[in-house]
Amino acid sequence: MSFRKRNVGLSAGVDRAGTVNGTAQPPRAPATPESIPGVRPSPDDGKPTTSTGTPSLDNLLAGHGGLPLGKVLLVEENGTTDFAGALLRYYAAEGVVQDQKVHVVGMPEQWGRSLPGLLGPADSVDDKKDKRKGDRMKIAWRYERLGEFGAGIAGSRAPAGDQSQSAADGDVDKRPAFCHAFDLTKRLTHPSITNLNYIPLAPSNEPLLTSTLKRLQAVIAACPPNTVHRIVLPSLLNPAIYPPETSQPDNLLPFMHSLRALMSTSSARITAMITIPLSLFPRSAGLVRWMELLSDGVIELCPFPHSSDALGSSGAATSQEEPPQGMLKVHRLPVLHERGGGSDQNIGQDWAFTLSRRKFEIKPFSLPPAEGDKEGQEGAGAASGGMPKKAELEF
Amino acid sequence: MAPTNISHRQTHNLLLISKLLSLRDTASPLTLVLDSLEQPATPLIKEYIRRAKLSKVHVTLIAFETLNPVDGVDAFIAARRKTPLEIVKAVGGAYQNVSNGPSRTCLMQLAGRLILIDAVNPLLHAKKNDPQFHLSTFLSTFLIPSSSTAPKVDVSLVVNFHQDVPNPPPQSPYAPSPLSMLTYLATTIIKLHSFSHILAQKAARDRSLAAPVFGLEEEQDGVLLGRLDKPSGNELAEGIVLELEHRRKSGRGVLEWYFLPPASRYPAQYVKEIVTLLDDHPLYRPPQQQDADAEEEEPESTFELRLTDRQRREREGVVLPYFDAQQGDGPGEGGRILYDMGEEDDFDEEEDEI
Amino acid sequence: MPTQPPLPPLLTPYVSSLPPSSLTVLSSVLGATGNWLVLRFLHAALGQPSTSDAALGFSETNNGKKRKVVLVSFLRGWEFWRTEAKRLGLDLARLTDKRQFAFIDGLSELFSVPTATPTQTSPSHNPQLRGAVPPRTVLPLRPQPGPVPARGPQPAPRPVATAPNTPTSREIGPVKRLHLSGNGNAALDALEKDITAVINDLKKSMTTGDGQEETEVLLVIDQPDLLLAATGPGRGIGATEMGDWVMGLQQHVHATLLTVSADSPLIHNASTFAHQPTTPLETEHAAFSIGSAHRAHMVMQLRNLETGAARDVSGVLRVSKGGAWGQDDVDDHWEEKEVLYFVQRDGGVSVFGRGE
Repeated sequence: MSFRKRNVGLSAGVDRAGTVNGTAQPPRAPATPESIPGVRPSPDDGKPTTSTGTPSLDNLLAGHGGLPLGKVLLVEENGTTDFAGALLRYYAAEGVVQDQKVHVVGMPEQWGRSLPGLLGPADSVDDKKDKRKGDRMKIAWRYERLGEFGAGIAGSRAPAGDQSQSAADGDVDKRPAFCHAFDLTKRLTHPSITNLNYIPLAPSNEPLLTSTLKRLQAVIAACPPNTVHRIVLPSLLNPAIYPPETSQPDNLLPFMHSLRALMSTSSARITAMITIPLSLFPRSAGLVRWMELLSDGVIELCPFPHSSDALGSSGAATSQEEPPQGMLKVHRLPVLHERGGGSDQNIGQDWAFTLSRRKFEIKPFSLPPAEGDKEGQEGAGAASGGMPKKAELEF
Repeated sequence: MAPTNISHRQTHNLLLISKLLSLRDTASPLTLVLDSLEQPATPLIKEYIRRAKLSKVHVTLIAFETLNPVDGVDAFIAARRKTPLEIVKAVGGAYQNVSNGPSRTCLMQLAGRLILIDAVNPLLHAKKNDPQFHLSTFLSTFLIPSSSTAPKVDVSLVVNFHQDVPNPPPQSPYAPSPLSMLTYLATTIIKLHSFSHILAQKAARDRSLAAPVFGLEEEQDGVLLGRLDKPSGNELAEGIVLELEHRRKSGRGVLEWYFLPPASRYPAQYVKEIVTLLDDHPLYRPPQQQDADAEEEEPESTFELRLTDRQRREREGVVLPYFDAQQGDGPGEGGRILYDMGEEDDFDEEEDEI
Repeated sequence: MPTQPPLPPLLTPYVSSLPPSSLTVLSSVLGATGNWLVLRFLHAALGQPSTSDAALGFSETNNGKKRKVVLVSFLRGWEFWRTEAKRLGLDLARLTDKRQFAFIDGLSELFSVPTATPTQTSPSHNPQLRGAVPPRTVLPLRPQPGPVPARGPQPAPRPVATAPNTPTSREIGPVKRLHLSGNGNAALDALEKDITAVINDLKKSMTTGDGQEETEVLLVIDQPDLLLAATGPGRGIGATEMGDWVMGLQQHVHATLLTVSADSPLIHNASTFAHQPTTPLETEHAAFSIGSAHRAHMVMQLRNLETGAARDVSGVLRVSKGGAWGQDDVDDHWEEKEVLYFVQRDGGVSVFGRGE
């Protein structure tokens, strides 16, 4: 499997020349200063990436361990829940903590005040989780393969990755954290939170999205060159925020296209995350498909219709895990699909997500043992009981 | 069916297609060709041109889609960015040149005129069409001589329509769709099918399976075209099938399926009829089926499974128990068990209670 | 993983020789994009057959004809194409210098009005990042897409029609940026004029002294369906206008490659086989894509694997004869085929039949 190879490559990856295989590497990569907080080279191709604020989402992004600069991530959500909003808040909060310039379109300032509070670098918070993950691998043999996912690519901050890094880097602790952990119940208090830039949807004589884009361009152009920007577009097209004519293709698609153009300029260091409500604009519509085509990454959230209480532990792989709150579908991944796609091991996997107080976690989804199947459930729950034997039988 | 009947139909319908494709007697002033990506009209258009050349018919191609002049076309009119009026003028002009030119003498030999429209869809989709544009008047201007002085020629118009290109929203919700308009106006409608698809569909029907669909009809993500000539693997399965609907002057309609072999099978100067009835194609109706017909008289089993007339009548006379049961008068009356005790029934008072 | 040849042998007959004045349609879907295949077309036209030829600096010849490529991209910038072509061993910047290749940028400024917003321009954040880039003398609306440091093509001394406010053009070689303004055919005509200018420029320029050979220009139009989707009937651009536009461009070049999206919502919602209300966007897109396939000589369709994603398969490629196949009696040496492909991390592509 190519995965292990990549992990090995990671140790050399910090030393840039190692990963760079002459032909594939744009000559500009070494020019990227290591010092920019919250930006690190992708273990896959050395392109600078930044964290989405959600470690497991970072892992999902085709081996880059984050969102590569210049890429747009479109998060679609079914139903009336706001899981995508939580992802956006993590994304914005991460930007604030990393001293990046965060532009919020169409939201009042209260939105910024509701960003989740900082717990610390994701590593430290991860430790506990990793221990549990170790247990789980013993418990559920069928996840052995998948377990690597969590520890893997983005795992440069997980213990396994850190070892190799410390070898190359000297001191782990001096490295700025790439991703942080946040607490949704707390409020973010960070000196740079005042730097949030709100772009209101003020009516003008131009089409709304045109003027919005111009403001965005103006602000970005006015910033010092090394600034890393994040554009947050919550609930695009939502009629509560956007006027109905916004959903005309000749308004919306030029906007998306220009946004893409803005981000693809070689010098710009911008990422963007957009959410749209699928209930109002279903994926089967041509307009939404064009929005997806104009985005670099497309992720769909399908929350389960019932509350997690009703499901009980049925969705959880083991009793120790929180039950998933919905399914997550990956339709397109940045960079990977632009190149032709499909070779990433995360593709085609069924993902489930769980939003808890502290994190938005994405993990492989599998159907639980049948509800009435007590034995099966106990077997799965009892640590290391019958399962390994079953596994031996299987293979 | 009597064999004479079949052969009569054969000769009759073969004559008809031959007349239509060779444009004899202006059998059909307006022919509508319905093609799709699965079976484009290119081979049929080429066949039209080939026959027109053989019978010295003047060919005009109004090209909405074709970039370069096609072999054998006398007048090639690129319709790109032209208004319908300009197209009409250009078409008229193209023939004027011929009739007034130095080759006027050879005009006498011209048997008529064929106007081909390679695809009418772009015209229907065009945004700049003025509201006065009417498809029917546009088409009829080609058929009716522009001025009384112009020499009277027999004009046949062949219009190709891509069935799979979606229709633009109608300008008026009450107006008929362009396709229904075209099918209504046309005197002949030729719908094209790929022979290999017809074979596949027939094979499925023979097994009582759902007929397979191809290309766009599959509605599969990313599939525009389903045609693959490889899987059929059969040289003989090449060719196209014409589903012909012709309206005679008498008003009677004719419906027939034909088979047009690929152009590579015969020389361009070949005069004999190459189109055959689909039913006569060996792949569509394998010859051994005749043998099966002949053997049908033979007993298939050593048992006599059929009923005699008397047996059938008696069977129909039997009143089944539930017919009685349904005559019950009130609720609860319908569910009785009607049973007449016979002597072979061993009825024991003590054990059985009714 | 074994390194793949830049051009998989199974693909070679399809990408290497396109018949004259032909249209090839390459359709892709969200999860199976066609950029890798476009790059294979570029490689087939521009690639080096042997290193000795390249060392001697001979221009690329094929059957005694020089081949050149004009790439018009509406969804992806110069940086992307340059980087990805490099993975194939194709140096687009050098080829631009040698006047064998021209890139037309339909992404950067397609919908922006260059003169309306001069105050928002800030060139200051550009040069520092790229040490080699000289300071700009003009104030472009946004930074240039892909000036290649160190050995970028020399600024072309051509006047720039679209940017009158730039006295000394810093446009890099024939990297031209398209602007869409106005409505309907007028807007498309302007684009056509810009593109044909580049094509003719490329045709005229001689790479070597022998100007006798004929040049064959391959025009690649990457996702012009965006134009259609983003303008739509409201601005007087529909499927017919787009089709005419492509035909107009076709007249200037040897062969044309057109990439379009064939995602189910864009094609089948408006299909005559579905019965549901459709939006004009879907109708026009379907009419344009299907209409293009009707006009095409060859249709290459990319799609996802029906059985779901697999680790060693990126997607399915189906090559079919388009509606215009057989029109010109050109000898065709290819047969319809369906194969699987896999794009490796290093950019190599392996193409194989099912079960191989």
